[in-house]
Amino acid sequence: MTAGNGGGAGTTVDVGPAAELEPGQMVPAQLGDLPVVVIRDGEGELHAYVDRCLHQGARLSDGRMVPCVDGAVVGDYREVEGPALKCPWHGYEYDVKTGCVSFDPRRRLRKVAVAETDGRIVIARRKEDLPAAAPTGAAG
Amino acid sequence: MATAPAEATAQGNGAAPPARELIDTDVHERALLEDLLPYLEPQWQRYITHYGWVPDRALPYSQPTAGGLDRADAKPGDGRPGGSDLGLLQRQLLDEFNVTHAILTGWLNASAMQEGWVEFKTALMSAYNDWLVEHWLERDERLYGSVQVNSWDAEAAAREIERLAEHPRIVQVMLYSGYEAFGAPRYHPIFEAAERHGLVVGIHHSENSPTALGRHRYFAEWHTLVPQVFMSQTVSLIFNGVFDRYPDLRVIMIEGGFSYVPHLMWHADQQYKELRHEVPWVKRLPSRIIREQVRFATQPIEEFTAAQLETLIGQMESDELVCFSSDYPHWDFDSPEESLPAGLNQDLARKIFSENARAIYRRLPAPEAARVEGVAA
Repeated sequence: MTAGNGGGAGTTVDVGPAAELEPGQMVPAQLGDLPVVVIRDGEGELHAYVDRCLHQGARLSDGRMVPCVDGAVVGDYREVEGPALKCPWHGYEYDVKTGCVSFDPRRRLRKVAVAETDGRIVIARRKEDLPAAAPTGAAG
Repeated sequence: MATAPAEATAQGNGAAPPARELIDTDVHERALLEDLLPYLEPQWQRYITHYGWVPDRALPYSQPTAGGLDRADAKPGDGRPGGSDLGLLQRQLLDEFNVTHAILTGWLNASAMQEGWVEFKTALMSAYNDWLVEHWLERDERLYGSVQVNSWDAEAAAREIERLAEHPRIVQVMLYSGYEAFGAPRYHPIFEAAERHGLVVGIHHSENSPTALGRHRYFAEWHTLVPQVFMSQTVSLIFNGVFDRYPDLRVIMIEGGFSYVPHLMWHADQQYKELRHEVPWVKRLPSRIIREQVRFATQPIEEFTAAQLETLIGQMESDELVCFSSDYPHWDFDSPEESLPAGLNQDLARKIFSENARAIYRRLPAPEAARVEGVAA
């Protein structure tokens, strides 16, 4: 799968075939001058965010999709609903469904509108610019 | 924070303690080993009388001062060490500085020694605690006690906490830092018992506390680096989930000062943000855990200006974390009248001298019920 072409306000960008992005995978894209990371979560839903870590600005799409780990007491490691998006630099982890950083739900990635239409993944700056059919993510 | 500076002392060198209440969170009473024999079963007495046991000591130097470990004037003059004479302690600390509450932190603590003869050391801690109650706590109502425990047998330590918790003037469980970090799960029964009884856990350094590079060539080096062990213990408790598992627990770090705290907060927060998946049982930022559950005794406080101290407190983002301590009778004693800088914000001074300690030592009597007159031994 390859990244889409550039596009400004009021336009959409075709990111690529929807079938090539499987659950737990991500793909970088470009929306005009805006770097975007498009993610398909474990349940198959699409999410798109500005591809820039809130910490020091690394491209999140260079990172890894990793299991979410929780634990109640020391030594307790349990994989829970996920995956999480892990920054390639310092390891900040983001909830792919919300864009929130793991240690502070008040801080979240900026959303980009994303939809799956006619077998293609399409992104836009605004939800209303997406094709009418089947939007699966909304710009926040 | 109000801006009124605290009154200077008569000597004019420091912020004056408040007249109403002064809580000293580090006062050392001391037993001789022979004092403990009546409290030991014969089988354990023999470890001292026949087998020549003495506390193991890793420090490769003595304390090169006028009085060794102690203030030279705090020794009773009969060969006993400082802290072994109640009357002298009353005169030199409680009466002279009007200390209303002195938290006794002890001297003999098996947690700082090596593991060997673990059953004997557990019995020795019980003997020490019984001696403490009879010879100190029941002789002056300004004195409050710590349960000394042998952390190498944490289940036995928890039973000892249960046994002593009934005494109304036991307010703390004491761990001296030796070879191990206390966050490890094997120590959790101690924290569980302390939390259940509303006892603070005090962590104190010892002559067996190493630096990151051992003990160095000179005492001045080792003594400069004492805060390192408190950073280790604080980090250990945080990242091993002690504070998450025991949310009502309060821990005070004693005799390491507090100027390292902002650095520790910043650095631990950074690691938590980046490595949280490794310690998923830690649910709060370390700086928040510290602000909610950890306190720091002042001694040995650096010679701050008021502006420097207020800046440091500001960097902690809380003026509730620091509690006054003198470390009487030791040679690096901090006088209540000299240790906080003149001109310090009056509200901050009052918090450091009494309110911050009162907030965590929840077993202290309410201020209106507190008795400030001493009862002679």
